[in-house]
Amino acid sequence: MKELNFDKLQTVYRGQDDFRLREMDVGIKLKVVCLDSMCDDAKVASFVLQPLAYIRDAKTIDDIQTKLSVGNGVRKPPNFFAIIEDFTNGYTLLFDEEDNCISVDTRTVIGRSIAEPPTSMVMRGPREGFVEDMKVNLTLLRKRLKTPNLKTVNLTVGKYTNTAVAVCYIEGIAQQRIVDDVVQRLQSVNVDGVLDSSYLARYLDVSKTVLFRRIGTTEKPDIAVGKMLEGRLAIIVDGSPMVLTLPYLFVEDMQSPGDYYENSTMTTLSRVLRFISVIASVLLPALYVCMQVYNYQIIPLRFLITILNASESIPFSSLTEMIIVLIIFDILREANLRMPSAVGISLSLVGAIVLGDAAVQAGLLGAPAVMIGALSGIGLYTLPDNTLILSLLRLVVTLLAGLMGLLGVIISTLVLIIYLASMQDYKTPFLAPFTPDIPADRQDAIAQIPVPKMKKRPRSIPNANDERRG
Amino acid sequence: MDKNRVKLDQLALLYLLLITGGKFLSLPSLLAGDVGHDSWLAMIFSFLWDGICLCFLLWAIKLNSKANMDISAILDKSVSKVVSKILLAIFFVIFMLRTMILMSSCFEMFSITFDVSTNWIVYVIPIAILSFFAIQKGFNAIARTSQLLFGLILLAVIALLASPFKEVQFTQLLPIGEAGWGKILATSYLRSFWFSDYMFIYFVLDGVKIKKRVFTPMLVCFGIGVVITVLLNAVFVALFGSYAPDFDMAMSKIGAFSAASSSNGRWDWLTLSVWLLSVFIKIIVFIFCAYKCIEKILDKSFANVNWIVALFIVATLMIPMFVSTEQLLSTVILWGVIPFTLVQYLLPLLMPLFTKVALNKTEVKHE
Amino acid sequence: MSNIKRVAIFLVIIVAGIVIGASFKGSDVLDRAIILGLGVDSAEDGGIMLTAEVVSPGNGTEQVGTFSKNVTVNAPTIATAIQNVAEYTGKEASLGQCVVIIFGQPYYENVDFTDVIEYFINHHSLKESTVICCCEGSAKDLFNNGDALSQSVSLAVSTLMLDQAEKIAVDTNNLLTYARSQTELHCTGFLNKVKFVPSENKDAQSPDKTQGFFSYREYVVFRKNNYVCTLNEQEAQGMALFVKGVLGETFIAEMDGLKRTLQVSDKSVDQKLTDDGGLEIKIKLSVRLGKTDSEEVSGAISTKKKKEIDPKVLEEVKKQAQALAEQYLAKQAEYDFDLLQFHEAYRQKEGTNKALANKPTADFPIKLTVEVEEN
Repeated sequence: MKELNFDKLQTVYRGQDDFRLREMDVGIKLKVVCLDSMCDDAKVASFVLQPLAYIRDAKTIDDIQTKLSVGNGVRKPPNFFAIIEDFTNGYTLLFDEEDNCISVDTRTVIGRSIAEPPTSMVMRGPREGFVEDMKVNLTLLRKRLKTPNLKTVNLTVGKYTNTAVAVCYIEGIAQQRIVDDVVQRLQSVNVDGVLDSSYLARYLDVSKTVLFRRIGTTEKPDIAVGKMLEGRLAIIVDGSPMVLTLPYLFVEDMQSPGDYYENSTMTTLSRVLRFISVIASVLLPALYVCMQVYNYQIIPLRFLITILNASESIPFSSLTEMIIVLIIFDILREANLRMPSAVGISLSLVGAIVLGDAAVQAGLLGAPAVMIGALSGIGLYTLPDNTLILSLLRLVVTLLAGLMGLLGVIISTLVLIIYLASMQDYKTPFLAPFTPDIPADRQDAIAQIPVPKMKKRPRSIPNANDERRG
Repeated sequence: MDKNRVKLDQLALLYLLLITGGKFLSLPSLLAGDVGHDSWLAMIFSFLWDGICLCFLLWAIKLNSKANMDISAILDKSVSKVVSKILLAIFFVIFMLRTMILMSSCFEMFSITFDVSTNWIVYVIPIAILSFFAIQKGFNAIARTSQLLFGLILLAVIALLASPFKEVQFTQLLPIGEAGWGKILATSYLRSFWFSDYMFIYFVLDGVKIKKRVFTPMLVCFGIGVVITVLLNAVFVALFGSYAPDFDMAMSKIGAFSAASSSNGRWDWLTLSVWLLSVFIKIIVFIFCAYKCIEKILDKSFANVNWIVALFIVATLMIPMFVSTEQLLSTVILWGVIPFTLVQYLLPLLMPLFTKVALNKTEVKHE
Repeated sequence: MSNIKRVAIFLVIIVAGIVIGASFKGSDVLDRAIILGLGVDSAEDGGIMLTAEVVSPGNGTEQVGTFSKNVTVNAPTIATAIQNVAEYTGKEASLGQCVVIIFGQPYYENVDFTDVIEYFINHHSLKESTVICCCEGSAKDLFNNGDALSQSVSLAVSTLMLDQAEKIAVDTNNLLTYARSQTELHCTGFLNKVKFVPSENKDAQSPDKTQGFFSYREYVVFRKNNYVCTLNEQEAQGMALFVKGVLGETFIAEMDGLKRTLQVSDKSVDQKLTDDGGLEIKIKLSVRLGKTDSEEVSGAISTKKKKEIDPKVLEEVKKQAQALAEQYLAKQAEYDFDLLQFHEAYRQKEGTNKALANKPTADFPIKLTVEVEEN
């Protein structure tokens, strides 16, 4: 004989304290079950128990479904898999004697309220940020995109976590080919659990890049909408405030959320600064070491004499000195991230003042090296998404510069650029619009033209409709 | 995506980098040794011939735009397989020789100017790794890299060119043609080994994406390249006069005057390093072409870099350890000028014809 | 990836690192004796006495300022002398930051120093733009004046020559221009003669200390790196009149009963060959009354100013300038040297030939015109 769904459920949850079962007679015999930890008691009482108390003449479970319509969501799960999914999500299940089942939405709402995300604060512009609840996140998107063209494809990923995932896009702007590709990739994800959107980012990275981030993330709905309006897709994962956006370009990392709320001249200026500081951050320590070990002629004489005066008594070679400085900086940063915030502040001060100054005073490190290390370390933060990887690259380039001089710098720079130039996911070259050069997209790459003049969507991102107001 | 597909605009920028890259290492001093202050004229003659050949090659590209045949397909169908293989072998030799000369000039520049002294093997291997990494990533990545860097490199070259301008008296280039026009022409022929950088296009014929214009972007880039190269050469001979033949590292010397005050440091070396990027791109492109030559000679197409071919190329690059560059060059002039002229200057002129023949044969086959 | 493959990759990276580290030989800046300036004198045994001003870093506590010391070595050739500097300092002698080369008087007057110049011009690290000059007395003594100046002698001399010379009517030379002048066409060129001029010591704390400054208004003329003659200040000023970029010549004339100083603030020098084979030189001087600290904006594209100089005074200045220029030309003809590229002007027309190279400067028919106007 076939085992009943109710019995199976009871077997699965046997011994669980929060498994609640109540039998009722409403004309037919009903078994009402719910997971106490996932359900809102008030909702169970007012949407299920109270209405049921007044029903006396139900003949089938369908009658009950009709009469319980005060509840927000009442549905019939088609199979045991769906029953379990609803049950674990906080639905209250009603079984009749023939093992027919309906589920009533009694999910409890817990989670933090909408706040400004700490990762992307802005001087001007909206301060709302995504939260962990997917429903709220979808609301935040819909609130900004009041169009029937905003479409979502809902999926469930993760064998045990059954995490809800929504692929959002604007029909008529995003390319359907990319939507299909992404949905197919998500459907084929075979994983125990998805705890955060970053899990899925790994699966969506087509070329399985080891170094650079290939999927964009944002905590701000305005940014997500801005990107969707350019033809990108937003992927919301339940339980994660980080919404994924793709396709992703390198240049996006150089664009700050506040850029679009400032004057375009100021934006251009700050982007140029970011650009320079990133290049300087990666190359400065390398060039400094290279100049000390090989090409002292490049350094202006008076500065050279200052360097010589400062580093005469340093016990390390120039390369070792710089590597130590860079590693110390990385250690400080890592420790600072993990420290409780109260300690973190003092630690960064301790790191900067005590370690740096004491090392210079003790003659362990030269002041110019410490200065260059710190300058380079700070400069990397202008590219927040790729700070860590650039920090690693900086170390490698410095090492090669120390060993091979300018030859090392040139070779490593070329390897890096060739690597970046070869990357291409979802028909989108990573370095676009710089290479391949897309002249139309220069309006919002480094330089930014005023928003009213941006009449075309970026061509770097494949889209179905080029005209911004079309 | 075919990783070797490339847009014509990218090809044009890459060509510009190839023209400017590598011609300021030992060539200016060699030319100055041959024809003194008229060396810039010798360059102009070489470029003139280059320009004509380039136009014919572009014509061939235009004809080939739909069929997208590669060089070996065109040659196989038009002049028989055997001749095609011989020509590819000459190409291989010329690319390898040019890579060797370029690398050894660079080696000298690093060891003498930049004080980075090492042995040839340790110098060649990182560059070979870089080149094969680029080949693995595809010609598209190389072209994109050059597109990204070309602005920076061009700025660096212009900065280098502008820095000694105050010191230069261009009247020193007078009287024009003092060395004798015959001698200048002969020099431009004998030193043709350094020119005809468009040869790499043969090996990407099957991947060129053409939009509308074929000639304009290429010829504009060619023009800019020629102006910069000739101007730099003229500055070099005007500046160094009788010492020009002795200064075999033209580019590193030319910037010495950029420092307004002696205590400013050699900032020009940083711009020089940026320019060196174009030399390395040139080396990568030449190794790419040499690699493609072997692929086509063997009638194979490797998905990833074939390590046996790679090892063979690296082994060939070790030749300068046994034969000096001067010896190599004199051998090239003695034996190589005629066969090299064949592929450098004659083949481009015949390419449109060959392409047409090959196209016709392909059509007949289809019918 | 199997573990063996991982280990193999790790090993390859380590080995590559070691091989690269061992194969590339750099020399840390601290292991270099960075030479700021070189002084060349004759040694008693007929060789070279080389004085090198070498950077000597402070002991880490004082982090600013230039610290240098002088190293004097004797050797048969310049190359061995530089090697000896390395031996004495215990560091690699590095010429990449050398800013000045000075020849001592006894040396340049008696020795053909072609080999030294050839060594420097072919040196890969030395900049061709390095300032080159000679000095009164020995170069060693000149370099020992560092204390008197409270700064590095090399930096002081090079800064003077590069930054100030053109504004005070003194022409200067760098290594390349000088080396070229000694090998091309008429093979003559000049070097500035630097003199240390002591001044009165007013330092109460160290009254025995010498104080002073450098003067470099005289030129020494060389042919193929052999001494020819010395141009005194007036002749040097006459020569500077012919040089385009050099400004600041001063003339004294009486105006309104007062002695007034007039300064050249702009100049054009037009040199061309005439049809009859002569050389026509037109010098046009723009002068103004010397009354400002800094240079005034001048030249054809600046605003016109009210005229304040009497035409008679301009005539007087013209006479003085003509006299100075002719004085120089007479000296040039007397010693047969060519600092103004007269031979080059003919070469640009005729091409290089031996007859032209050997032609005495006095044989060129020169027609000189000087014009003076108020700026």
